[in-house]
Amino acid sequence: MMRKITIKNRGNITYDVDHRKPLLDSLKANGVDLPYGCKYGGCITCAAKLINGRVNQTAQVALNNRQLNNGYVILCVARPLTDCTFEIGVESHDLLYRNPFTDPLEDHELKADIATPLENRK
Amino acid sequence: MDSVCCGPGYASPTDAMMAPSEKILYTIAIYTGTGIQKPDYLCTIDSDPESSSYSSVISRLEMPGIGDELHHMGWNACSSCHGDIEKERKYLIVPGVRSSNLHIIDCGTDPRKPSLFKVIEGSEIKAKTNLSAPHTIHCLGSDIIISMLGDAVGNAPGGYLHLNESFEIVGRWENSMGDIKFSYDFWYQPRHNIMVSSEWAAPNTFMPGFDLEEVGHLKYGRELHFWDLEKKIPIQSMYLGEDGLVPLEVRFHHDPDSTHGFVGAALSANIIHWWKDSAGEWKWEKIIDVENEPHPEWPIPVPGVISVILLSMDDKYLYFCNWLHGDIRQYDISDPHNAKLTGQVWMGGLLNKAPEVNGVKVTGGPQMIQLSLDGKRLFVTTSLFSTWDNQFYPEIRTNGGCMLMVNCDTENGGMEIDPNFIVDFGKEPNGPSRCHETRYPGGDCTSDIWL
Ligand code: FES
Repeated sequence: MMRKITIKNRGNITYDVDHRKPLLDSLKANGVDLPYGCKYGGCITCAAKLINGRVNQTAQVALNNRQLNNGYVILCVARPLTDCTFEIGVESHDLLYRNPFTDPLEDHELKADIATPLENRK
Repeated sequence: MDSVCCGPGYASPTDAMMAPSEKILYTIAIYTGTGIQKPDYLCTIDSDPESSSYSSVISRLEMPGIGDELHHMGWNACSSCHGDIEKERKYLIVPGVRSSNLHIIDCGTDPRKPSLFKVIEGSEIKAKTNLSAPHTIHCLGSDIIISMLGDAVGNAPGGYLHLNESFEIVGRWENSMGDIKFSYDFWYQPRHNIMVSSEWAAPNTFMPGFDLEEVGHLKYGRELHFWDLEKKIPIQSMYLGEDGLVPLEVRFHHDPDSTHGFVGAALSANIIHWWKDSAGEWKWEKIIDVENEPHPEWPIPVPGVISVILLSMDDKYLYFCNWLHGDIRQYDISDPHNAKLTGQVWMGGLLNKAPEVNGVKVTGGPQMIQLSLDGKRLFVTTSLFSTWDNQFYPEIRTNGGCMLMVNCDTENGGMEIDPNFIVDFGKEPNGPSRCHETRYPGGDCTSDIWL
């Protein structure tokens, strides 16, 4: 199945991509210049911000829950579940990096393997 | 290197100290994580004060791909092959810690303009050895050993990649990782059949950035490991605990008969000393403790974060950087149990002690250092690791890194930033880049080991 991917910070250009393929591969095949490193979802280099839509990125291990809640997606392993709109590249990383001492994570904001679930999560 | 009788390097540390001064330096510069879609590259920097291009980049060798994150590097041969006339210190092995690609760079044919000789693809390394994230490189006779921080998908503890002298993958070097949880740096002392390794974290933990909470969840290292070098197995681990959080650079004395060595515990901001006592037991102690410093905007005092340490060739001085505080320190360790502070200079850092040096705004703090063989010139760069830079010094994206030189008094102790040397990586042709590790063609204080 094809999904329509819109890149907001590239003049809302759109691409039709295969829903089974990682977004990084699909976008690169369309000539989009994207940063990447490990290509297995562990190094965060390829992170982009999801503005609209849903993805499956269960294979990623780079993002903590705060980054996930801020909409970050690891493009090298994420596959689109719906049509999606992204901001890409380092320009989208405004909320990705934070000083760990001045802005610590709450227990539920840690990475999934060590986070405490929120009791009253809706 | 000039001698016709011998192989690479020098017969002894004392001989190495009498070598000619370095005329050029090789330094890594990265675009990974900066938003500039260009390959990382190896810079050749003119360090000859007589030259008209002194203190500037004279050539740049781009890697074939984007996003490697070049980090540390090492030579194909060092003084451990001094007796072998067939050997030559010619190739720098320059790994990409994110891509796991190993770039073999020919620095011998034209030392002022190195060229790419070969690439060992990260995919081949992962397929053949199930290892990724290359870090420290040492040559051991004909073999080249590289510490790899993760398995093929970035989980700890990783292991050691073994290359032969033709840069072909032999396989895994170690026979066992024992109970080791993480990998990072290593150094060895062949006369004592001992290797010591330290611990950072799994690539999947440190690459995305630093979360302090993960230290408490034991996702970062706090142990030091002693190996039987010949058997290639770990034989003893030392739990350093709160004194040794995130032990990084490992340095044995250059004197091949010595058993003394040191490691900098980055987050605890301590220097740990180890040695073998008269009963043949390996011991450790904390010899330096850098106090955390208050900061107006921080809820807790700022730790120094000792990102690197090294020893002068005569084993008299220990140097280290507090990357977050912004100082480089020199300690007299003539008595390795009692380190005495003899010098300190400031550049960048979070404490605002020296925001500008030699007319350039220093973004980041003193990070990688490299010392000349005679111990008098210390070159320092400011970037640590792209994602960590982005957390602590976000302005580095627009300002880039810089390289400075510190003149060191080897007689009485003391350090001074040289007013005439600065390489501003904010002004690179493709935009601001970040500089990291440095090596000198004729050897330096972290490249050579004596058998
Ligand atoms: S390239 Fe490393 S997480 Fe995607």
